[in-house]
Amino acid sequence: MLRDALLIAGRDLRVEWRSRVATNQVAPLALVIVMLFAFALDPARGILARAAPGLFWVAVVLCALLIVQRAATVESGDGVRDALRLTALSPAGMFLGKVLAIGAELLALEALLLVGVIVLYNAAPSTEGWPLVVATAALATACIAAAGTLYGVLASGLRVRDTLLPLLLLPVLAPVLIGATRAFEAAFAGVPADGWLWLGLLGVFALVYIVIGALAYGPLLEET
Amino acid sequence: MTDTAVTTTGSAAAPTGTGSMGTRVIGLAALVGAVFLVLLGLVWSPEDITQRELVRIMYVHVPSATIAYLCCFLTTIGSVMFLWKRSVWWDTVAYAAAEIGAVFMALACVTGAIWARPTWGTFWVWDDARLVTSAMLFLLLVGYLALRKVPGDPDVRAKRSAWLGLLLVPNVILVRQSVEWWRTLHQKATIQPTQLGAEMDGLMLFSLFCGFVVGTLVFAWLVIHRFRVAWLEREADESMLADAIAERRAEAIDSGTGGDPFGPRTGEAFG
Amino acid sequence: MSYVLAAWIIVFATVLIYAGATMLRGRRLARQVPPERRRWM
Repeated sequence: MLRDALLIAGRDLRVEWRSRVATNQVAPLALVIVMLFAFALDPARGILARAAPGLFWVAVVLCALLIVQRAATVESGDGVRDALRLTALSPAGMFLGKVLAIGAELLALEALLLVGVIVLYNAAPSTEGWPLVVATAALATACIAAAGTLYGVLASGLRVRDTLLPLLLLPVLAPVLIGATRAFEAAFAGVPADGWLWLGLLGVFALVYIVIGALAYGPLLEET
Repeated sequence: MTDTAVTTTGSAAAPTGTGSMGTRVIGLAALVGAVFLVLLGLVWSPEDITQRELVRIMYVHVPSATIAYLCCFLTTIGSVMFLWKRSVWWDTVAYAAAEIGAVFMALACVTGAIWARPTWGTFWVWDDARLVTSAMLFLLLVGYLALRKVPGDPDVRAKRSAWLGLLLVPNVILVRQSVEWWRTLHQKATIQPTQLGAEMDGLMLFSLFCGFVVGTLVFAWLVIHRFRVAWLEREADESMLADAIAERRAEAIDSGTGGDPFGPRTGEAFG
Repeated sequence: MSYVLAAWIIVFATVLIYAGATMLRGRRLARQVPPERRRWM
């Protein structure tokens, strides 16, 4: 199963690397969103620096939506689903593979966004907050990637997918947004002890979605 | 409810609507109960010491919210049962419950906001887990219904919806937990919502109880009717398809059998 | 009191309209389905 996962993850990342959509479109868009927040919230009054953790995660979630849609598009080509089923890879492995691929892209995006936030919003994690930032980013990425992959396959093959997926996925990600933002706030404020608790919530979320996703992926791929 | 007006044929003949003997009784009971609830809630029951008149909103707000959460659980149960038993019946139950749940969740949010305005001085607060959870649940139900309304193969749709419906309850629990922690960890609750039931006198509790009874009756009536509507929708789709096929076949037979490779037996073979 | 009345009117009106709409939908659909298939179990 793990081998299958790595195989699928490698394929998705290769497709993504060759198409350059992530680097040429999604990453610049992330920077555009960071700029837009600065225009909307007057930076002179310090709102931006205080809201930085929340804005960071809103930007991540919005970009994740595009990445998830890209990943689902890869599967929706003519006969790709049938070909995948013929390979006899385990569906749970395929699910994990897609989660890994989306997660890797998201982590790269988050690194870029973090630099953007530090430079443009004048807000940085305190020195003792860095371990918390890294742990939160890893867990929240797992949450977003797992939920995104599951909802991506739920809405796949529908003509209205592009409009339906945000409606289904964004409310579901609300706990991740809350948890990750609070943990980041604690890390930025220099009191990381307050933030570690939230990792429990993120961990439970990731676990629920990885388990249900691994179970549901096979049946959903079969008949849709 | 107008179903009492349906006094047409008895149960022996095919029904002309989604009403039946059972739903007519439930509907009548709900109507009588509603009249009683209006009198009890708005006239007979005393006003609260702290909330004054506003406590009367609770008699419709609390039952609405309860029904909505009940519907949410019913949708998840229906989804799980569909995935287990693969029966159309459970799929239809999940669908009916989700739509009714969305209606009552909207009502609960609106009446809650109306209550909060004079009580807390604002329509909405973010530091109450119940409010935020309810609003998120409403959005989740709307998303579920949106997926259901997408045209397509009914079997595939049922399967997708079932997985989505299955996630409804875990999502609500996660949202609730996150909002709960958020509130308690970061900002101490600025507003203490009055503990409902703590200082309620007998007649007020009875009004609330009456609200629950009427709410349950309305819920039962709606679920049965909505279920039958969904069932008929499916039958209508199928019979429309069957009619169209029969029509085409009749055309083929009428236009002579010369061009028909299967000959005149086609109709029998498929009929 | 106006708040209370507003809440009650909204709840009752919504439920009545929704119930009526559900019934009308049922009637309209029942006409499209042949009588022998108008069964729910």
